[in-house]
Amino acid sequence: MSGGSRGVPQPHSRNLGETNILNSNKTVHHRRVKRFGHYGFLPYVLIFPLVVFIGILAVYPTALTFIESFFNVNPLDPPVRFIGFGNYLKIFANPNVNNSWVNSMLYVGFGVVIVTVLAMAIAYALRENFPGRGIVLAIVVLPWALPGVTEGIIWAWIYNSDFGVLNSILKSLHIIREYQIWLSSSRGLTIFFIELVQAWQITPLATILILSSLQSIPGELYDAAKVDGAGRWRTFFGITVPLIRAGLSVAVVESVIVSLNIFDQVYVLNGNAATGSSIMLQTYNITFQNLNFGQGYALSFLAVMITMLISVGVLRLVYRRVEY
Amino acid sequence: MWGISVTFDSFVSPKEVTMTLLSGFRREPEKTMKVRQVAVPILIGFMILLSATMGFANGQKEGTQSSAAPAAAANSSMPYAGQEITVAFLGSPAPDALISKFTDSTGIKIKWVYLGWDAMQTKITAAASANTFFADVTDVDWSRVGEYYKTKWFVPLNNYFDVNALKSDVPQISSFIVNGQLIGMPSDASIMLTTVNTADFQKAGITTMPTTIEEYTADLKKLQSTGVNQTPLGIPFAAAEGLSTYWYETTGAFGGEILSKDFKPLFSDPGSAGYKAMEWMVNAYQSGLVPKGYINTTDSEEQQSGMANGQISTIFSDYSGNVGTIYNVPANSKVVGKVKYIPTPGANGVGPNLGNPDGIGILKGSTHVDAAAAFIKWFDTTEIQADISGVSGPSLSFPWALPMRLSAIKALFSNNDLQAQTMYDLFSNHSRAVFPQGAPPWYSQFSNAVYTNIHSAALGQETVAQAIAAITSTVNNLNQNP
Repeated sequence: MSGGSRGVPQPHSRNLGETNILNSNKTVHHRRVKRFGHYGFLPYVLIFPLVVFIGILAVYPTALTFIESFFNVNPLDPPVRFIGFGNYLKIFANPNVNNSWVNSMLYVGFGVVIVTVLAMAIAYALRENFPGRGIVLAIVVLPWALPGVTEGIIWAWIYNSDFGVLNSILKSLHIIREYQIWLSSSRGLTIFFIELVQAWQITPLATILILSSLQSIPGELYDAAKVDGAGRWRTFFGITVPLIRAGLSVAVVESVIVSLNIFDQVYVLNGNAATGSSIMLQTYNITFQNLNFGQGYALSFLAVMITMLISVGVLRLVYRRVEY
Repeated sequence: MWGISVTFDSFVSPKEVTMTLLSGFRREPEKTMKVRQVAVPILIGFMILLSATMGFANGQKEGTQSSAAPAAAANSSMPYAGQEITVAFLGSPAPDALISKFTDSTGIKIKWVYLGWDAMQTKITAAASANTFFADVTDVDWSRVGEYYKTKWFVPLNNYFDVNALKSDVPQISSFIVNGQLIGMPSDASIMLTTVNTADFQKAGITTMPTTIEEYTADLKKLQSTGVNQTPLGIPFAAAEGLSTYWYETTGAFGGEILSKDFKPLFSDPGSAGYKAMEWMVNAYQSGLVPKGYINTTDSEEQQSGMANGQISTIFSDYSGNVGTIYNVPANSKVVGKVKYIPTPGANGVGPNLGNPDGIGILKGSTHVDAAAAFIKWFDTTEIQADISGVSGPSLSFPWALPMRLSAIKALFSNNDLQAQTMYDLFSNHSRAVFPQGAPPWYSQFSNAVYTNIHSAALGQETVAQAIAAITSTVNNLNQNP
């Protein structure tokens, strides 16, 4: 802190009083710049409420969950006591939990692929102006507003093995000979069809994220590519995809998080059957059915960590800063 | 919001705030004061918002607590007058007239909350384990009684009810007693029983209702072979609780029990009733007696709507009350007047009807235990049970399985409810608890093993023997490491 400018007369000042005020302000500013950086403390003030909310609603519960995961917390087996990694060892040895991890990874795999492909296609189609675009956009966004349980019930009728619309359409198209059981019969098929329901819900958000990135690409780039003789695919992979990576990465992370947390649709469409049981369903069962809160904490904490790891991995892989 | 707006106006104009924000914070030195003018109101606004939120939360808590204070107007006939209790009930709202009737007679106000089964259990668990208030009176499911005994989450009701005096009129009360402790009082007399679409049976040439499992199975095949119904039987094969209870009832019909008094498995032997019951259910599905889609059907809605729309002709383990509240309601049913309860066919004659009654109890976080007990006493009187079953007209009734007292079921006779006589007979002579000693504390894990394995066996993903072995292993583990 120099303070060297304090009291030095300014040649262009109109009077002494004004000079002093200006000097004083400048000194304070320089001091703050040094302490808070060029932007001062306003950014810190602006993010302060968010930091507090995230701290209260996310960081504190996560920390508490992590700490409690080392304790036996089970009303059926009191008292609460420290057991080290006991909860973690038990959930790693639980075949239902291991099965659910595999299922959840499949949900993520299917979810990311389905959502990304659908969202890209829809966003690409909605990029151009056409009559009724607003209505189409509203319809596309509609599933986003529906609760997971409602969606599950709607799709349960669509997938119904006795009179479902899916069977009816496929049979009338001669793709299947007789009505099929779409859920429960095999793990892959069950997870694919359940994830399809969730994809139906979260694709609108991904579409909007990608659409906003698409619309920010300057038209001149496409004009230049056209002049250079680039074809449609070359333009898509050479200009569009690289320039929407910011929006795309957020969309992919969103679908990873939602797919890993899938619960409602699984519960409504497939119950607790092993073919589709997700890690969140297992967490619910262990915590609220079995009342083993300690193991529930351990599983929840692992789920949070794995979600974060995958999300960070996706961001590092896909996200690139774009400046025009 | 108001605070924020006023504060902004008094320090700096909204336009200046916006411009400062839009400038990306690259302010000039002379704008230091303005930044402060922006930052300070934001901080103050946030603090106001935070204080308001906390104040709201405190207000909520105080609102609940304040009603705990004894009312000044209390007198000997209405000792709890002025208190308000929260009643969390399964399924449906109570008629206003019924709530008014209680308040008029006791002076106690009721806040009635109704929830689905899953949400109810989750809220009970969350509130009880976190020592927070959820409701004074809540559902007590028969299957969770062992768990509640061990966790001490419910106030024992022995001081409020004479258990021995009630046993003759409320036979299902035993489902709510563990080691002599009354965890909850039955709120209905739900039992599992067999329903048949008599019109379909007659069409198939079946004039005498089956009394044994063998006859019942033969009738199912006859319904199929005569073309009356290709898939006559309803079994909810979704991996959910309804599949477990179906198996318990079928096991009872085959003449056995699920667990011994010390919770050892009684179904492991191929000759046991439980083993045979599972084989019968799985064979029914795999041989096409049950609609294929029922692999993902739950008992509560889809199976019942299947019966109501004529898709199936019979349910071996249906619920008491469904004929009156679902199958005979013209707006929801195509089989009005056709579906009847029959005595459950057993291995050697009429089988038992296992009870799965709902109960109500007082959660330990209740702030008005005596007022809550007064409500349970009032709700379980013969008069009120008859009222809610429709004896006094629709204004006091709501969808209900069956009154919890035999004396209240008798009152239905006078209401020309022809099926009430059958129900009375089944309930008084054939009903018994699934677990006469009370459900084990680890029931949820046991049931999970039951329904997931029967579900898998029906799909052919494992054999019945493997399913039984898996369930047996689960029970043994739970007994060793509860």
